[in-house]
Amino acid sequence: MTPDLLIQSTIIGLSIGSIYILMALGLTLMFGMMHIINFAHGAIYMLGAFAIYYIFSQWGAPYFAAFVLAMLLLGTFGYLVERSIYRAVKGGIEPTLVALLALTTFLQAAGYPVFGQLDKHVPPVFHGTRNVLGVMISVERLMIIPMAGALVVGLNLFINKTKMGAAMRAIEQDKEAAALQGVNVHVVNGLAFAIGFALAAASGALMAPIFKLDPMMGEQPLLKAFIIIILGGLGSIPGAILGGLMLGLIDSIVATALGAEPAFLLSFVFIILLLLFKPTGLFGYAPP
Amino acid sequence: MKPWRSVTWTTLLAAAVLMPWSPGTAVAADIIKFGISTPLSGPAAPWGIPHKNATELIFDEINSQGGLEIGGKKYKLEVVAYDHKYVIAEGVATVNRLIAKDGVKYISVLGGAVVKANEEPVNENGVLNLPLAYAEGLVSPKNPLTFHSFPSPPETTTFWKWIKEHHPQIKRVATISPNDDTGWWSIKVETTFVEKLGYQIAGKEFFERSMTDFNPVLLRILAQKPDIISVLASPAGSVGLIIKQARELGFKGRFIHIGQVDTSVVANIAGKANVEGTWVHGYVQTPLPEKVKSWQARYTKKYGEWNATSIDFTNPAFAFVAAVKKAQSLDPKKIGEAMRTVEFDNLWGKAHFGGKDYYGVGNQIIYPMPFSEVKDGVATLVVQLSPPHN
Repeated sequence: MTPDLLIQSTIIGLSIGSIYILMALGLTLMFGMMHIINFAHGAIYMLGAFAIYYIFSQWGAPYFAAFVLAMLLLGTFGYLVERSIYRAVKGGIEPTLVALLALTTFLQAAGYPVFGQLDKHVPPVFHGTRNVLGVMISVERLMIIPMAGALVVGLNLFINKTKMGAAMRAIEQDKEAAALQGVNVHVVNGLAFAIGFALAAASGALMAPIFKLDPMMGEQPLLKAFIIIILGGLGSIPGAILGGLMLGLIDSIVATALGAEPAFLLSFVFIILLLLFKPTGLFGYAPP
Repeated sequence: MKPWRSVTWTTLLAAAVLMPWSPGTAVAADIIKFGISTPLSGPAAPWGIPHKNATELIFDEINSQGGLEIGGKKYKLEVVAYDHKYVIAEGVATVNRLIAKDGVKYISVLGGAVVKANEEPVNENGVLNLPLAYAEGLVSPKNPLTFHSFPSPPETTTFWKWIKEHHPQIKRVATISPNDDTGWWSIKVETTFVEKLGYQIAGKEFFERSMTDFNPVLLRILAQKPDIISVLASPAGSVGLIIKQARELGFKGRFIHIGQVDTSVVANIAGKANVEGTWVHGYVQTPLPEKVKSWQARYTKKYGEWNATSIDFTNPAFAFVAAVKKAQSLDPKKIGEAMRTVEFDNLWGKAHFGGKDYYGVGNQIIYPMPFSEVKDGVATLVVQLSPPHN
């Protein structure tokens, strides 16, 4: 691999990794607090992309307004899902998993009659290419990195610097103790659902102008997000960030050097090896 | 109760009881069911929708003239279509459903990997299949009732001779294709052919059909400095992303798809300017011969929107109708025998099934194939070529 190719594939890997991080953050946040795997995450990613298609591409709203609106709409949807499903089954992990799986199937199946059978496409928001360190990279790809970075920083500030974030961390550590200290667990869980869904929507909204849109488009990113949260450690936000970056770079650099299939295999081999030596993932911890 | 009332009630009751058996059977016997298993959703839907629509329109037109006459009896033609989403498991399930549940004896399946997966049920049940699909060994003596109704790479690669003659500056060819039966065979045939013509193969890559980020694959290809990239066998959605991402990475050369692809769908994704100069087989927007113009008008009237992919996807219906007329039978074997000798009109001229010298069986459709170039965003016919074998 030439140095130019290495630079180009590294920048592309950082861009892909940024999306992986956003997807994985929502998943790991919900797992850390409620111990549920949100199977609907891929479907929410898809809805985020379609929200951009309609609000920005079809109705002509500015992209950033559409982006924020997509996050708000799907964040609200997440809150409603918490109220109508998670709270209804009294936080039962298995019933919630089954219900979220059913929600995914419903959203994907409803996608074709609602959005149409043909792939959709969102026109580019950022045009052209830029010379970065001597190689050409599309501005669209480059812009993903700061936008995703801003969301990650924002989430970290929210969790570490606000009262609500402290409540989330308290629930993650001990739900009962947090409730005894006056934390309204229902409200905070609802907020975690809302943030998780909004982050998945943000990933979809960022990717919408780059890829094509179809109701099944969330499956691959969901698979990647699962790999990342296992790699980084279930429930760990720093783990999701590091895992996302590692997987993005593997996907890009290894795929460029050896081909897409070896890269796909290598990501699994890497996880298996890591879990053999550190079963809790990079930043995970064993439950007491 | 008055006697006439009693008679009326008895008659109505008898009619209600007998209805499911007598008249129903008579009606069912007059219908020829033709099964279609095709992608009606997902990235390959730009192929599947016109496949279904074209067949339905031809059958509607025959039905409006009283139906298809066999042995002095008129039959209505009916399409039973299922969506397989270009997923092999769904393709097998839909074909099994067509054969076992719907009792269909004649089918048209789209997608090489799907057709290959269905070889056994099709052959075991003696079903006549008119697929639109690329896969190695599909047209073969072991599939006697499978009549491939679209030009395959062994036919369409002949366009490379035209390129060699008209664009001698093109020297290095890279290929990118789906990682399945369709892609493997298509690339094998194409690269073998172009190497014989003296081209250098600059790269050969495969991708999973679910892939959307082609950057790593394209970086590998572009590092080899190709003059042209062949996206043979890739669906429109993937082709759009490949072209868009290759242009973003700085590729200035041409693209070619000698399978079939809707360049307007590709341009929606890749951007009109990026698709300029692309060569494509089986998709022509202009100039259209009178016969195709008439088809365009009829298609647009029925479906509200024109789809140029439908032009060549009329082949299964035209071939089926011509062979049934010749065989004067509903037996798939007899229709198959007629298929090997019948000559019929498709929208580009005279068509027949041949290719025995290449495939070992004359089950490949042969007709003057259209090739276009995207000029000012429009797929413009540049040449019609006959396959190298007859």
